[in-house]
Amino acid sequence: MGAGVAVTRAARFATGFLALSLVTACGSYGGVDTPPVFRVAGEVAKEAVGAVKSRRGGGGAATPAAPPSREELEKAGNPVLRVVIPARGSDAFLTISDDKGDVVTWTTKDGTTFSLRNGVLTQTRGLGPDLMSSEVPSVATLLRNGATYQRLYFFLGPDDRMGRRTYDCTVTVVGKDTIEIFARNHAITRVTEDCTRPQGSKITNDYWIEGQTVRQSSQWVSGPVGVAIFQRVVD
Amino acid sequence: MLNSSRRLLAVSAVSTALCAGPALAEITPTLNINGTTGLIDMPSGDAQDDATFSFSTTLVGPITRSTLSFQITERLSASFRFQTLRDWDTLFPDDPSSDDQRNMDIRYQILKESQYVPAVTIGLVDFLGDGGFSSEYIAATKTFKEKVKVTAGLGWGRLGSYGSIGSLFGDRPPLENTEVGKPNSDQWFRGDFAPFAGVEYKINDRWTFKGEYSSDAYELEDETRGIIDRKSPLNFGFEYQRGPYARYGFYALHGSEIGLTFHLILNPKTRATGGVMGPAPSPVMSRPARSSDPEAFDTGWVTQPDAGPLLRTNLAKRLAVDGIVIENLAYTASTVQIRVRNTRIDAGSQAIGRTARALSQVMPASVEVFEIVPVSRGIGASKVTIRRSDLEQLEFAADNSSLLRERVELSDAGPVPENAIGSEGLYPRFGWSLRPSLTMNEPLRGAVRLRLSASYDIRPGLVLSGSISTRILGNGEKLTGSSTGALPPVRSDGKAYTENGNPAVENLTLAWFARPAADIYSRVSFGYLERMHAGISGEVLWKPVESKLALGAELNYTKQRDTDGGFGFDEYDYDVVTGHVSAYYEFGGGFVGQLDVGRYLAGDVGATVSLDRIFANGWSVGAFATVTDVSAEDFGPGSFDKGVRFTIPLNWAIGTEGQRTFGTTLRPASGDGGARLNVDGRLYDVIREFHSGALDSEWGRVWR
Repeated sequence: MGAGVAVTRAARFATGFLALSLVTACGSYGGVDTPPVFRVAGEVAKEAVGAVKSRRGGGGAATPAAPPSREELEKAGNPVLRVVIPARGSDAFLTISDDKGDVVTWTTKDGTTFSLRNGVLTQTRGLGPDLMSSEVPSVATLLRNGATYQRLYFFLGPDDRMGRRTYDCTVTVVGKDTIEIFARNHAITRVTEDCTRPQGSKITNDYWIEGQTVRQSSQWVSGPVGVAIFQRVVD
Repeated sequence: MLNSSRRLLAVSAVSTALCAGPALAEITPTLNINGTTGLIDMPSGDAQDDATFSFSTTLVGPITRSTLSFQITERLSASFRFQTLRDWDTLFPDDPSSDDQRNMDIRYQILKESQYVPAVTIGLVDFLGDGGFSSEYIAATKTFKEKVKVTAGLGWGRLGSYGSIGSLFGDRPPLENTEVGKPNSDQWFRGDFAPFAGVEYKINDRWTFKGEYSSDAYELEDETRGIIDRKSPLNFGFEYQRGPYARYGFYALHGSEIGLTFHLILNPKTRATGGVMGPAPSPVMSRPARSSDPEAFDTGWVTQPDAGPLLRTNLAKRLAVDGIVIENLAYTASTVQIRVRNTRIDAGSQAIGRTARALSQVMPASVEVFEIVPVSRGIGASKVTIRRSDLEQLEFAADNSSLLRERVELSDAGPVPENAIGSEGLYPRFGWSLRPSLTMNEPLRGAVRLRLSASYDIRPGLVLSGSISTRILGNGEKLTGSSTGALPPVRSDGKAYTENGNPAVENLTLAWFARPAADIYSRVSFGYLERMHAGISGEVLWKPVESKLALGAELNYTKQRDTDGGFGFDEYDYDVVTGHVSAYYEFGGGFVGQLDVGRYLAGDVGATVSLDRIFANGWSVGAFATVTDVSAEDFGPGSFDKGVRFTIPLNWAIGTEGQRTFGTTLRPASGDGGARLNVDGRLYDVIREFHSGALDSEWGRVWR
């Protein structure tokens, strides 16, 4: 609901702003510079639809169509990562767009990417308030109960300047468990990573690690985006 | 999918979570009906957040006030206000029915609030005007329990006109006519002063109650003009905050009037979308290790005749996605130089990053050095040299933008390499657009014109361009400079130009941009340079890529055009040689100063000082003042030329990529003195974006 309100407000602001600047336009520079008014009209319409949908959903979370089955996800024969961003009510199945060994970049159909270093989120692109770069722990560190280290996050501020956040983190190995992801059971080690800043803010990341593979995780992306939930559905 | 919905905004979250951290809970400083930080009609000791840019409009009976305010630094802020007083002829039937006033205010916070110390601000209201709204004040504000703010202050001038308790620095002398428009420093803090006070109570996140005791007697509006009946010094009201941008005020004023206010509160430092949108870049392509695959590093490809066209085609295909056009491509076995025109991405560094990524995917492995030359108006603006192995190494490193910047070399673009593969099919190039344009003379007053523009690039740097426009909407062309007759009407016939020229040829020029030597740029423009003047204009600029200082010179010969927007020169028999030498300096923190000394359109000689705060995301807000040898009488109201200007990138508001902006210049009064030719493509603006000052401030976007 909160998101819905923010979005309407935003849409209204954008429309107002446009009314102020009046920018319907056309021309051959068009391919280069799509008439913003049409684009915004589209966005506003989309937002409106989104808002209605989530309101109908009641609880505020988006009401996705029936989730695909494992057979459907495995059909293409490619690895699949599911990413859910609760604050945005979004839920998508991503495929690999770049594989550099320890860092794998996953992309949505519309070109939003998540780069994970051995399953730990290190960069995003296309979310808006993106995680531009970061220093992250290895899986080995995450499996060591009581391990402490620093985590660095770099964000592009709204004024386009780079900002750094430094966290002191501690690992707690919660224990062994079994989880089910799309009708498949995984024996995992449940790990919690608590990170604090001297300034007082706090984030928590959770990992469900199968062997050396992060099978499922809930990781903080950025202030406005909040956490993203990752499920490694198809290897 | 992930970002298609919810794309537009998550603003509330931005300010709290990303930038501010766990901010101390406090009451946001609010604005008053005069569009400046304060209570209802009275000022307070608070200051807005740094860089807050607000637009306020207020309606109180026959009075309308529209104000633009900008928090220039954390402590310093300035406002530009336009007031209309209707029913002006109530007591004097021969007078016009309304009176317009333009005010400029400036205020400085001398003390920030701390546990025991209140915030204290000293301010000058209407310090350049005709004195009708002039006042000075010192105000202190203290917050209690994050709910209540108490303000008390002392005012002089208007703010000392009710309940005065004496005077400190002697009588307030009347303002001489010749002094109008100059800083009225003889009056500052002179004459009677009076106390004012008020309280602000935050009921909840949305609603605020305000009450105040006003020290403004409204003598002009009540006693002199009879347009307001001021019965009481007490004002009350409620304010409603709607989202981060909008605030409404409803007040009972003077015991007799209802006041309504709307504030639009923006801040260039927060992006409406919370971050720059647009799809992810393509990944950097890693080369195999030379030891494991030496064959990949073979240099034989250089001699293949079809290599050039093939590489060019492949690069063009990848770069087209981001609106980047290749002007030239030159390569050896180890180095590639690509000259690109960025037509869409608003940050130069991002365009450079995307170009580097494309090069990593297309160029054979033996090419280690990427030289990227951004081209602006056909000129190579600078050269960014990136080592390919740095790109490969740093793609996923923490703080990769700072690390890359340390290894990147920024230098003069140099000439186009001899072996460059030219731009077949790119030139000549024709483009056109049809779009409305808003001209705003003052808040809420302006005209919408429909403008058809076309350009024909004959070869890089040589452009024939023109535009024609006609008015489609407008709420009055009230703004006309007042020609005093002492100067040729080089600007003051603006009304005639707008009224008579529908449609009008705004400009039709042939312009030639070049880089004749290292760090030197040149421009020659010929034709109908602007709506009012036509002729020839030449400019030279010296600006080393990493220098904070730039020097320029401009020389123009122009004739004044007819008001009908045609090609004639019959109405005015006026021609003039104008020219300036200019110095530009980047002070850091986005502040850019400019000094121009020379001869202006009316033949007057003088200097212009301007200061702009330019934000990495494209916002800019600035002010300028021109003093010439024209006497204050000859200049007319305003005494000398001055004003404020701002530019807002549309992508800041909408979140989509693009380079279009919205902006305007506002002047308290305009005359014919200190007027400069309005020629398109001044060199400093053409190249600044790709020099270190601008590029470094937004360098983080190189990996975006």
